[in-house]
Amino acid sequence: MALSRGFRDNFDWALFVVTAAIAVTGIVNLYSATSAAGPHLKDIYIQQIYWLTLGAGVAVLVVAVDYRHYERQGWIAYGAGIVLLVLVFLLGREVRGSQRWVPLGGFSLQPSELMKIFLIIALAKHLHNDPRTEGRTLKDLIIPGAILAVPLMLILAQPDLGTAMLLVFIFATIMFLTQLKLRSLLTLVGSLIASAPLTWTYLLKDYQRDRLSAFMEPEKDLLDTGWHAHQAKVAIGSGGLSGKGFMLGTQNQHRFLPDQQTDFPFAVWAEEHGFWGALIILALYLMLVLWGLKIASEAKDRFGAVVAVGVSALIFWQTVINLGMVCGLLPVVGITLPLISYGGSSVLTVMTGIGLLMNVSMRRFHF
Amino acid sequence: MTIISVRREVGEFKKRYKWMTLFVILAFGGIFARLVHLQVIQHDHWAKEARRNITKRVRLPATRGVIRDRHGRVIADNRASYNVLMTPQLLDVDDVQKVGALMQLSPEQLEDLRVRLSSVSERRRSHLIQMFSDITRDQYAALETHNRELPGLTTVGVPMRRYPFDGLAAHTIGYLNEVNAEDLKRFPEAGYRAGHHIGRMGIERAWESYLRGRDGELKVVVDVRGREFEGARLHKKSERREPIPGRDLTLTLDMGLMRAVQRAFRGHPSGAAVVVDVHTGYLLALFSKPSYDLNEMSGRLTVARAQEIQKNPFRPLIDKTIYESYFPGSTFKPISALTALQDAVYDGTERCDCPGYYELGGRKFRCGHSHGDTDLRKAIVQSCNVYFYRLGQAVGLDRLGHYARMFGFGEPSGLGLNTEAKGFFPTKAWYRERYGARYRLGFTINAAIGQGDTRVTLVQLAMAYAAIANGGTLYVPQVVRSVDDPDGTSVAEFGPRVRRQVDVDPDHLKKVTDGMHGVVNDMKGTAFGARVVGGVPMAGKTGTAQVAKRKLQPGEDPRRAWYYRRSHAWFAGFAPARDPKLAVVVLVEHGGDGGKNAAPIATQVLQHALGKEEAATHTASQRRGFGQGRGRRGRRARRRR
Repeated sequence: MALSRGFRDNFDWALFVVTAAIAVTGIVNLYSATSAAGPHLKDIYIQQIYWLTLGAGVAVLVVAVDYRHYERQGWIAYGAGIVLLVLVFLLGREVRGSQRWVPLGGFSLQPSELMKIFLIIALAKHLHNDPRTEGRTLKDLIIPGAILAVPLMLILAQPDLGTAMLLVFIFATIMFLTQLKLRSLLTLVGSLIASAPLTWTYLLKDYQRDRLSAFMEPEKDLLDTGWHAHQAKVAIGSGGLSGKGFMLGTQNQHRFLPDQQTDFPFAVWAEEHGFWGALIILALYLMLVLWGLKIASEAKDRFGAVVAVGVSALIFWQTVINLGMVCGLLPVVGITLPLISYGGSSVLTVMTGIGLLMNVSMRRFHF
Repeated sequence: MTIISVRREVGEFKKRYKWMTLFVILAFGGIFARLVHLQVIQHDHWAKEARRNITKRVRLPATRGVIRDRHGRVIADNRASYNVLMTPQLLDVDDVQKVGALMQLSPEQLEDLRVRLSSVSERRRSHLIQMFSDITRDQYAALETHNRELPGLTTVGVPMRRYPFDGLAAHTIGYLNEVNAEDLKRFPEAGYRAGHHIGRMGIERAWESYLRGRDGELKVVVDVRGREFEGARLHKKSERREPIPGRDLTLTLDMGLMRAVQRAFRGHPSGAAVVVDVHTGYLLALFSKPSYDLNEMSGRLTVARAQEIQKNPFRPLIDKTIYESYFPGSTFKPISALTALQDAVYDGTERCDCPGYYELGGRKFRCGHSHGDTDLRKAIVQSCNVYFYRLGQAVGLDRLGHYARMFGFGEPSGLGLNTEAKGFFPTKAWYRERYGARYRLGFTINAAIGQGDTRVTLVQLAMAYAAIANGGTLYVPQVVRSVDDPDGTSVAEFGPRVRRQVDVDPDHLKKVTDGMHGVVNDMKGTAFGARVVGGVPMAGKTGTAQVAKRKLQPGEDPRRAWYYRRSHAWFAGFAPARDPKLAVVVLVEHGGDGGKNAAPIATQVLQHALGKEEAATHTASQRRGFGQGRGRRGRRARRRR
């Protein structure tokens, strides 16, 4: 009822247009990125269109229900996410040394992707019901910390360092909203730094360590670990100001870019469309993230604000980390570029997030 | 009330949004800055890198020039051979197994291949590395049929040198090897790369810069696996720089004659021969025995085979025509005689009595035979040492040396191939320096009969005999007649080069050559047994040079000791006797008597060269005829020196 009445007035056109622009760019880019690859990738852009359409449907459903209902069902969603993560170990198959997928009919689902949304909702529910006027201490972080810890451990066990890291970043961003006391913050940061060597030794797998070392000394072994990062830089740099033209990027067409459809689509784009093209993508994401923060700041309740910040954080961190690694600013970790990288679960997750943003945005005037 | 309270609850977050916004803008700003850095500032660098990624340079080898003999017979040309290159990264265990099956490798070879593949360093695993060279046609065919299934393997065709005459004239022609680190350092500008071949010996080495040509280059657009990129619409066509083929050479050698020399040497394990055109200095034959197969030397010479060649007691690696020098023995006597006549010490009528030895300073210098009353002609014809001892004593060492040098002894002939020995003719000063006060006249008289410390190469001797035959013109020996373009047009022709005009009186020459004619044609001549009845008349001089006393080398059979103590057999001469065209020098190492063992070879060679085929067959029967009277002739020959 609320939907039908206010739909046209309150529809967030800016959010819609920016999202659609990114999605269309992604399809166009995917077409070129996979054109040179073997036949198994030939129709991936079609599949991406299906996923985006499905994602749009999900987003519409998400928008249709007032987000306050999600607040009430928050724990159920969170619990469902945890169950799916456990299922990964029971049903999942191993791909490239890690278990991340649950077979679902003809498709595979990546529960760790969906868990990002469920985590945001769970944290939002917790903070919604826990308002403070004074600064928080470390003790107040125990419950949110526990909410994070359960899925984090499950995802690290797959192992999926990238997604785990992303959960931590989203968590940190959301907690940044609350006013943590300065002393507590310093203690936290201090202990994190102190535990870094332990993480290096015990938590990281060999290939993860290799990637980090490759990032630290990129010229050391160009043909092996540093290959991806190096070829991506070659692609971007050789694109120049105006690029080599659509479908004409030599790095991509001659298959020097590995994982061009998942991890490195931006390199394909920057090579073919140059600096100006790259700038357009950068501007679209910047607008999307800032718009998300604007929606959060205008949200009418704590749950809506936290959800909007969480989704913005999700998009922001994925974008910055992916672009950073493609440009050689960050080590290569398997984090995709929202809506431009190929991947059903990723698209569904981001579209659900966009739906949540739209939901919060449209209901900011309702009471 | 609810409205207000809800609003207030959001207030806890309010202050944070601007910090978040700032952080987001800074983060995107960082990426923006990086894009400026990569795409604007460093663009040229990365663009070059991207181009390098997709261009592969393929060497288009230039075909090496063909070497032909004076009649156009091919001495060295090129054939196709195939090498196998592999990219270790792209080969798994099954692939290696498959390669083994296709190439029909033995288990050991297969294991060796595995070891070599796994020992390739990480950095080079994506490179193409040569694993086999010059595979057989069957192996090539098998690999080519299955090359789609083996992306990590490529075969490349490379020209390989072929020598149709195998080991004939091997030292002169020379062979090729792959360049080594030293060559690359020595000729940094010449553009040699690992895998190139370079001339190692003889003409292949000396004329390398003409024969080699210049490699071309093909720039191919490739994908990440190094395969030619098919969607070439992205780029202009592959660039191609055609190779420039090497120049061909026409030699002065006559391979037909070389074959005749080879035939004539049958039965003698070690020796050498030179045939030269007396009017030009062009060499028709340069023969050194034993030899080695050039195809083997240029291709896959195994270590075992190389050692076998190295250890052969007859020294196949030594070019006996110019690298080694010998005592000329009696073949030097014509020079001694000319010296005496030229310096008017003798006029040709002097006589002496030969009792079979010559006593000087309490020492007896031997002659082969007591020749009795002897004049100059008889001394040459019958090779009387005593006559030449006296002659040497009368002329003196340094006058002998002067004429020896005029005829080209003691300095390189200028052939310009391989390492050429200078030879040696001693002077009094040299003896004084060497022996102090103990200089003795014996040195001089030994020098007059080509013993002592005199050493000559076969080429030097041939050039000197050519000069005697042509009236005193000493030519520079040459083996390359012309340099030609591959289409056959001549780029450079090499005319005769005169080294020196030796100042000799034609009358004196006549007296000496008359004696040399007698050597072959007089009943008592030392080479009379080798003459050809009805053949081309020849003149010459035999020699039986004592060899320096030497100990057995390690690896030599002591039962063969007699062989190494035996004299070297010489014959040097020219034909036709009255109107000389060719000069020939034959040396049979440890061949014993020159007249008996060297002269027949020279006869056979000259008869062949001067186109008297029927005479050559006649000679053969003549020689068989002599064979019946072997004992008698043998005794007589032994007495001659």
